[in-house]
Amino acid sequence: MFAKEAYLGTEILRAPVQPAIVRDRAFDPVFAASLEAELAMAYRLAGYLLADSAEAQDAVQEASVRAWRGWPRLREQEKFHAWFSQILVNVCRTRLSQRSKRRTLDIEDVDLESGDPFRASLARDAIGRALSCLSKELRMVVVLRYWGELSLAEIADRLKIPVGTVKSRHHAALQAMRRRIDPVERGI
Amino acid sequence: MRDPELYEGLDVEMDERLARFARSTRHPALPDAVAELPWAVQLNQRRTSRSGFLSGLGDGWSGFRRATFGLARLGATLAVAGSLLLLLGNVHTGGTAAAVIRPLPSVHPSGAVAAPGAPEVVVVPTSGIVDDVMADHVAGAIRRAESDGAAAVIIQLDTPGGSLAAMQRIVESLSAKVPTIVWVGPPGAKAASAGTFITLAANLAYMAPQTNIGAASPVASNGQDISATYGQTEADKVMSDAVKSITAIAQDRHPEAVAWAVTTVANAQSYSAEEAVAAKGINGEAATLDDVLNAADGQTVTTSAGQVVVHTKGASVVTINEDAIQAMLHTLDDPDIAFILLVMGVLLIGVEFFHPTLLVGMLGALCLALSFYGSGSLPLNVLGVVLVVLGLAMIVLEANVPSHGVFTIAGIGIFVVGGVAFYGSPGPYLPSAAVAWPIIGLCAVGAAAYGLLLVGTLLRMRRMPMPVGAGLVGTDSVVGGVGLVQADLSPVGTVYVGRESWSAKTKDGSSLSRDAKVRIIGQDGLTLIVEKVD
Repeated sequence: MFAKEAYLGTEILRAPVQPAIVRDRAFDPVFAASLEAELAMAYRLAGYLLADSAEAQDAVQEASVRAWRGWPRLREQEKFHAWFSQILVNVCRTRLSQRSKRRTLDIEDVDLESGDPFRASLARDAIGRALSCLSKELRMVVVLRYWGELSLAEIADRLKIPVGTVKSRHHAALQAMRRRIDPVERGI
Repeated sequence: MRDPELYEGLDVEMDERLARFARSTRHPALPDAVAELPWAVQLNQRRTSRSGFLSGLGDGWSGFRRATFGLARLGATLAVAGSLLLLLGNVHTGGTAAAVIRPLPSVHPSGAVAAPGAPEVVVVPTSGIVDDVMADHVAGAIRRAESDGAAAVIIQLDTPGGSLAAMQRIVESLSAKVPTIVWVGPPGAKAASAGTFITLAANLAYMAPQTNIGAASPVASNGQDISATYGQTEADKVMSDAVKSITAIAQDRHPEAVAWAVTTVANAQSYSAEEAVAAKGINGEAATLDDVLNAADGQTVTTSAGQVVVHTKGASVVTINEDAIQAMLHTLDDPDIAFILLVMGVLLIGVEFFHPTLLVGMLGALCLALSFYGSGSLPLNVLGVVLVVLGLAMIVLEANVPSHGVFTIAGIGIFVVGGVAFYGSPGPYLPSAAVAWPIIGLCAVGAAAYGLLLVGTLLRMRRMPMPVGAGLVGTDSVVGGVGLVQADLSPVGTVYVGRESWSAKTKDGSSLSRDAKVRIIGQDGLTLIVEKVD
């Protein structure tokens, strides 16, 4: 008589997204409005972090589910923006590190016709191609800085690293991109 | 936004190019699936199926509240069951309510019809553990005999022993205005432990052939067994109290019987009817009730009303049996029944923990309370009880803390050890008791079968396909299904399957273009692994 519950209890918590069964809490319009305001930025950030629109959708969805689960515990709802982007960055970072174990995807191999808006944008410009060659750490700083429009201190907060590290990664990223772009542009 | 210090040495041109590029690519169209999230997430969020007590603890504040509520309810259940029991106990131990509620003892005149004017003798058949029920029964019958002016009361005794308090009450009620006779019978009966005290305390004592009197189980003369349970000082105290008590009782009977009586306590000796007669411990042997009536006739005894000559020859016999409530409560003293009630109580309360329904917990609490009531006159071993409860708890926990059977196996082991050690050393009054092996065995086999079934079910379920991905993208596994490529797989893209878009990649790393048919052959997180079908 305990078996089914015990089993479901352990297994489903492991699944990344839980199956729909019954509505648990009442619909919360405040949550809906807060999340809606974040979606464009979240999708953009996830898209450029992961360079994959399908995976970006999954990441935003996962972050949204986590946010809804954690919503009752969020004391100050005006801090939703910082809180949600923190969740999103965590989700994306996890996905990036999992991906690097499984596969590598070099943006330059992707043709422009693939239909993926992020890959298309990145492949369109030398800057984008240089960006997609950066290491995971450097790229996260750059994406948060330019597409997330976060200050270095905010980036440090989201990534849970010191501001000094953010600054040095920022510099290193730009230098690396310069090294990659210059020979190309001189060749043109 | 620009902090000069942070920008020191920065590649400013690169910075500006990046910012420009980011601005030009800032507005990718938001897919419908993302735009719907604020509502979809809320409407599809799975209801937490965690319930019960333990799992609730891990769930933050709301879990704490649930757990507190569960505990409070359990406490209330126990309180209700406890008060029921108090009422029940009060009814039969002669509290204020007893006189109203207790039914009158049923009277069964024996077949032998006596001549008119012949004396009346009250017979009180007793058996089993000496407990409050027996004490009430005996005291009530003696009061009745006194008020009826009966010629004598015959207590028919067959007991392995019992509680000190109940024994003392019986001994006190035996010194009545009416002559009291204890008959240890029929043949095969025994008056062990507390029964010895009762037999010797009556005005006249007879034993049937093949009956025994004395200690029920060997207790070392230095009181070692009791000391193991209570500690040496306590054991000495219990033993010396018992010796003093039996000395006083035997002194009233016959001065020569004192030394003999003390050996039943101090040396844990047991004697046959012949030996007891020879030692002047009892008045004689009597094989039947009629023999008792004949043997007692003409004897002079000292009752609380003074010297009385007993006239029992040809008396009419009135038998006073236990009433229904007394019989029921007396049954609880059985060592096996007390054990079974404890097991049932613990299991039911375990169920109440995980599946709160007031009724089950109430039943469990009642079982527990009845069990402890019954074992009050039994030599309960605390360690044994703790082990039994622990073992049962582990078996119940197996379902909630899957341990692949380890909990069940350890739980059964602990349970069996606890069952064997459930009753401890009897001491001078308590009966020697043990839980019957078949009962322990049956419980263990039942628990093992339950554990096997449970673990088997868990393993079978673990092999079943899980409702993967789920939530916002359907509750059924899409593995095995066929879908269409939505965004080219190169080798990663999206596939439309089960009315949802999924990230997907080809198994062999090949590329597939839009609208190609693919079969889903596996899943890696939220990414499907697909192969082309024709």
